[in-house]
Amino acid sequence: MSTFVLGEFAEERALLDAARTLREAGGATLDVHSPYPLHGTDEALGLRPSTVPLVALIAGVTGAVSGYLLQWYTVAFDWPLNVGNRPPHSAPAFIPVTFELGVLFASATIFVGLLAWWFGFPRVHHPAFEVEAFRSASIDGLWLSGEVAPERAEAFAAELGRLGARQVYVVPEGATR
Amino acid sequence: MSTAPRTTEPPADPLEAAPVLVGRPDDRALTESLLTPVLGPVKRGWVLLLLVLLCGMGFWLLSLTVTLFVGIGAWGNNIPVAWAYDITNFVWWIGIGHAGTLISAILLLFQQKWRTSINRFAEAMTLFAVAMAGMYPIIHLGRPWLFWWLIPYPSTNLIWPNFKSALPWDVFAISTYATVSFLFWYLGMIPDLATLRDSATRRAQRIVYGILSFGWRGSARHWQHWRIGYLLLAGLSTPLVVSVHTIVSFDFAISQLPGWHTTIFPPYFVAGAIFSGFAMVVTLMIPARKAFGFEHVVTARHLENMAKVILATGLMVTYGYAMEWFIAWYSGSSVEWFTFVNRAVGHYRWVFAMQMFCNVIAPQAFWFPRFRRNLVVLFVVSVLVNFGMWAERFVIIAVSLTRDFVPSSWANYTPTWVDWGLLSGSICTFGVLFLLFLRFLPPIPISEVKELRRELAERDHLRAGGAHAERP
Repeated sequence: MSTFVLGEFAEERALLDAARTLREAGGATLDVHSPYPLHGTDEALGLRPSTVPLVALIAGVTGAVSGYLLQWYTVAFDWPLNVGNRPPHSAPAFIPVTFELGVLFASATIFVGLLAWWFGFPRVHHPAFEVEAFRSASIDGLWLSGEVAPERAEAFAAELGRLGARQVYVVPEGATR
Repeated sequence: MSTAPRTTEPPADPLEAAPVLVGRPDDRALTESLLTPVLGPVKRGWVLLLLVLLCGMGFWLLSLTVTLFVGIGAWGNNIPVAWAYDITNFVWWIGIGHAGTLISAILLLFQQKWRTSINRFAEAMTLFAVAMAGMYPIIHLGRPWLFWWLIPYPSTNLIWPNFKSALPWDVFAISTYATVSFLFWYLGMIPDLATLRDSATRRAQRIVYGILSFGWRGSARHWQHWRIGYLLLAGLSTPLVVSVHTIVSFDFAISQLPGWHTTIFPPYFVAGAIFSGFAMVVTLMIPARKAFGFEHVVTARHLENMAKVILATGLMVTYGYAMEWFIAWYSGSSVEWFTFVNRAVGHYRWVFAMQMFCNVIAPQAFWFPRFRRNLVVLFVVSVLVNFGMWAERFVIIAVSLTRDFVPSSWANYTPTWVDWGLLSGSICTFGVLFLLFLRFLPPIPISEVKELRRELAERDHLRAGGAHAERP
């Protein structure tokens, strides 16, 4: 079990510098919270490149292939359908549905995947929400958070203050459970 | 908190006629102003308009009920005019929807900053327009309760849909379009729903927006994936929007009816869709920005750019008309040529005249900056374009059908009150949905406008001479 520590910064640059310093010090899972995406957080937090594009590509190809197979199976194989004496397996006529299903699978995977897998949503009971002032994170506040071992929490909070946080909060262990 | 002034005026850019963002309000002031329609008091005008539109929606429900109980015999359709108001309305609404996707996806990929403050609004328009559009093919089935026969599933009927027909393509295109538009819209809105949750003062609002935002906490780890996912959805929507109206045009182009059987339809339909959609965004935006005080984020620049897009797509549509006529003559097919002459001088010549006036002549006003910046002219022309695009679809669909190959089967078409009810009622229902959207969801993308403000402030700073600009 770990303790959640939050610090609010006035300046974007100070926030990113603090994130870099704390990451080098180690011992905490860091995160930045801001009302809009900040430039440089990926580098400051050492985040790896997102896997969203790869997963979307796989889903899109799966959708397109299954779309084509669906049409081939239904009108060319299972029940060959003679329309105007055209061949039952008419590739050009299968393109629209193939394309649409590719887009549909990729898009649905991105959306559901983002929420359920990459974001871990729905999660409305996150420890950050225990701090009333954290409401500003979606309005105009720049926050740095760290999950640390409970015995290190006070030291981490002090470090946040030293690095320029205007206000620091320690969310007590088990507060949200 | 900071004692700095809430708004600072940026240095003027001599190359820009009007800014994309008026002033540089700080994030809190921006949030407050953009959330006023949701968190502020209910406006009397909003309630009145909603009541009026609800009456229209009642008419729509009545027309739908009559259609369901009587069947499509309640409409003016006949043979040969088997497709008339219903399919015209369908193509019109789906076309309107396309501007929303264009604004939110294509302009995002082209990094057009002016799209930022209008994209949520335009996407909502897309969703509601597609909802209206999707209903028409279903009620046109005659037995709409069996619409699921179009879905390929192993049924006891032992038959499959015919995938070589444009109608199953339509099913896939429209349902994919509706789904992807919704996902794109909602994904973009999650950070703003969190802003609403955190700004709301009433407990019920906090709970509802808390649930709708799924627990968004602005985490950098989430923003990283969110940005990529949002960009990818834009990238997927871009070819999607082109494919959807292409497939809609296939409904006509792959048939053999004179006036329908032409290869120019896909690009010409897509251009027409964007044309009418942008006109609808302008029609809705001009009153909404005034009523809700969005003039600082939806500026004269946005309206002027939309007027330019209307002019450009209007010219594409005009080119489409010219080519249709040219090919009808050049093909040497007397039936094809007759169809076109019949459009211009036949029974429905006044609809054709309306189409030409609204779609070809009216948008020419936008060559002049004076008219692009005049709200009255903008509004009037945008309404005319909406009207003209409806007339265009009527001319293509119904007028072509009235005169097919065999003169003995010729017949004219007259709409019944049910036809009118389904058209006017759908406009009111669309309005109801739109008013509810304006009241209950953030109509301007707050996080994106903040990002824009930050970029602009950085640029102002560099321009003011600060080489090592301190970030705002």
